[in-house]
Amino acid sequence: MTAVLEVQGLVKRYGSTVAVGGIDLTVEAGEIFGLVGPNGAGKTTTLKMLATLLVPSSGDATIAGASIRRDPDAVRRVIGYMPDSFGVYDDMRVWEYLDFFARCYGLPAARRRQMIGDLLDLVDLSEKRDAMVQALSRGMQQRLCLAHALVHDPLVLLLDEPASGLDPRARVELRELLRELRALGKTIVISSHILPELEELCTAVAIIDRGKVLASGRVADIERRLRQGAVMRVRVVGDDGASETAAAFYRQQPEVASVERLPDGLLELGMRGDDETAAGLLARTIAAGHRVAAFGRAASDLEELFLQVTAPDPWPAVTDTVETMAHSAVEG
Amino acid sequence: MTVVARGLRWGGRGIRGGGSRVRRRGVGILTAIRAVMVKELRGRMRGRRAFVVLTVYLVLLGLFSFGVYQLVKQNALNAATINFGQPIPMDRGEGFVGGGFPGGSGTGQVGLSATIGHALFSGLILLETLLVLVLAPAFTTGAISLEREKQTLELLVTTPLSTLGMVIGKLFSALVYVFLLILASIPFVSIVFPFGGVGPEDLVRAYVVLFALAFGMGALGLMVSAIVRRTQTATVLTFVLVLLLTLGSAGVHAFWLAGSRAPATLSANGQQLQPAKAGEAPEALLWFNAFVSAADLICTTAPTGYDPTCQYLSTVTRKPYFGPTFGQGFGECPPNARCGFEQGIQICGADECKAVPLPAGVNRGVDLPAPAPATHAPAPATEGGGGAVVAEDGSQPFPGNGGVALPPVAADVAPEQPVQVATFGYPRDTFWPSSTLAFLVAGILLTILSAQLVAPTRRLRLPRIQLRRRQVAFGAGVGAAERVEPIAIDGVSAKSNDQPTTESPA
Repeated sequence: MTAVLEVQGLVKRYGSTVAVGGIDLTVEAGEIFGLVGPNGAGKTTTLKMLATLLVPSSGDATIAGASIRRDPDAVRRVIGYMPDSFGVYDDMRVWEYLDFFARCYGLPAARRRQMIGDLLDLVDLSEKRDAMVQALSRGMQQRLCLAHALVHDPLVLLLDEPASGLDPRARVELRELLRELRALGKTIVISSHILPELEELCTAVAIIDRGKVLASGRVADIERRLRQGAVMRVRVVGDDGASETAAAFYRQQPEVASVERLPDGLLELGMRGDDETAAGLLARTIAAGHRVAAFGRAASDLEELFLQVTAPDPWPAVTDTVETMAHSAVEG
Repeated sequence: MTVVARGLRWGGRGIRGGGSRVRRRGVGILTAIRAVMVKELRGRMRGRRAFVVLTVYLVLLGLFSFGVYQLVKQNALNAATINFGQPIPMDRGEGFVGGGFPGGSGTGQVGLSATIGHALFSGLILLETLLVLVLAPAFTTGAISLEREKQTLELLVTTPLSTLGMVIGKLFSALVYVFLLILASIPFVSIVFPFGGVGPEDLVRAYVVLFALAFGMGALGLMVSAIVRRTQTATVLTFVLVLLLTLGSAGVHAFWLAGSRAPATLSANGQQLQPAKAGEAPEALLWFNAFVSAADLICTTAPTGYDPTCQYLSTVTRKPYFGPTFGQGFGECPPNARCGFEQGIQICGADECKAVPLPAGVNRGVDLPAPAPATHAPAPATEGGGGAVVAEDGSQPFPGNGGVALPPVAADVAPEQPVQVATFGYPRDTFWPSSTLAFLVAGILLTILSAQLVAPTRRLRLPRIQLRRRQVAFGAGVGAAERVEPIAIDGVSAKSNDQPTTESPA
């Protein structure tokens, strides 16, 4: 794999405020790379610098071999950028919107016509070809904006919070669309403040907070690196007594740091160790005669990891579970 | 780079991956102008709005011209009644009502026809100047700030579109509509031709001035739009500037003129030792005042050879604009006297002035095209003037007509050479060419400036500085998962706010 996007020590300051304080990233070709971080972490600023909208205070980045500082025009040719909040022109039809941006890239007329049809097919807006842009729904505008970023067939797509403000269905459609684009060979850099949203989609993520990369790599790798444990949810079939027995059983297990009883036969275990340990624990649970209906990671797991990593103070007590997790992480 | 070479394609979607070839250049200016103009005009001309505006504008223009016509006719009739004690017969064959340029010379109604033509022309030119002065900046003052407000500018700046092309495209698409309004008024303004006094070349001049004005003012609005973030502020600021350029410049000029004026020196018994010296203020001060240009055009077409505008223009340009009045002949200055004109009176200064009396028999009238403005005897303006088309006998010593078809540059030079003054009469047209040129130059400069202001990454920067900055390896020590307090960087950043070039490697 070749690195399409390389960021070296990118810094952006506004007066004495540091928006981005030295970011290093490498994105391989064909990846869907997620930039995750809370609001104000510097994701948008980073993407804007990559999109040649802002001049970095220091540091540099190369996209497809072109430096964003020295050769911004070459960078502009290989990137498609979709901003966080974007406007649409009034008084413009959908096809005219795409036609205008195709003209901006200097595409010849014949190719423009064909490309507009293809792109509208891709983003599923063919029926809206002659509709006025401002009459489209938010999700459609989002897709149109994505289409605008594709008119020149870019190598790299920089998408800033593309899913914000979309309903669940539109989110799923967007995810499908991005997968399709990846299949077409695009490298996609996507930002979000919701880590789970990116988990399924991204091949790699970087967690950013206060202008720093806190962790980067595959989501699973980051998880493994940042903590030696997980929150498992176990559901035991039976009455209160059954779950009480199960809880007692888990308290005796060495890899279980904490046990919490939730209503409806649910148990939440703070656990040390990796998947291997979890498998062993499950085997022993069943061997001990507990009737397990469900055994798995807590759904909010990733979110908690995110909160934990990007917390304002080191190891805050966001929830009890996180506190438990923090202790287990420190101990581990 | 191998990825680039692989040429990512739209698999099976029919789009050939030509776009993935990395071209080093941005999109050319002409492509950019065209792209932006097509986009802007599609928006502007859509629906009925543009055409409704045009229609309303023409109707108003028509009503205005009719009003001026009625007013001038009534005034002239009244004046004629007072002067001659009898109304002018309206139904004479060569009368002005029937149109056409009357053939008789020296009769009152002939002057009346030309006066109406001139008044119509003056009114329309002033109205259109005002219109362009308001509309051109109004159309451009939101060009860039609106894109910023609607958050569409970022989309544009991330394309390789040339910002200069973009800005020019914006300017032109706004001006196209203003030009359309100007050109649509041609049929109305042409009404002046049958009245006489104004020739087609006068109209051409007027339109040249209007186009230059539209360009300069449009560029002004554009630049303010590029500087100011909000459209509302930009609009207000633009119109304040327009007001300053017109009213402000005229005011400053008037004060300057008054301040530099030297009163006549009188001896104890009241005898004049030194004549009063005309005040001097730089003409350039008024170059951006569109109304002075309009006044120049109006003076040029004055049928009597004298018009209040001429008086003002001669004060501004310090060149004779009309024939000598009150008995002070052009050649009457003593040798070694400098000539100046003030309030219509020739002032003789201290420097040399080679005043050459016009040789008898000089007739510039024959050089003019057929519907030329009337030339006149140097009679005081209050008489209404004689109305001869062309003084056939050549006996008029001071043809004060401004219809001299001098090229702009020549017009600038001409008054410096007294011989030419004598030969061609009083050259007018000395102000508007400078003003037009000033508007054009200013327009070009402002446009280039606006292109620089569109986006911070689109400014012309020195490439050397950028190269040096690369070695600032900032994030080198910043590990992936470690938590670094921002203060660590603050120490450096605090002193070098927006001037990263001055920073030292951390």
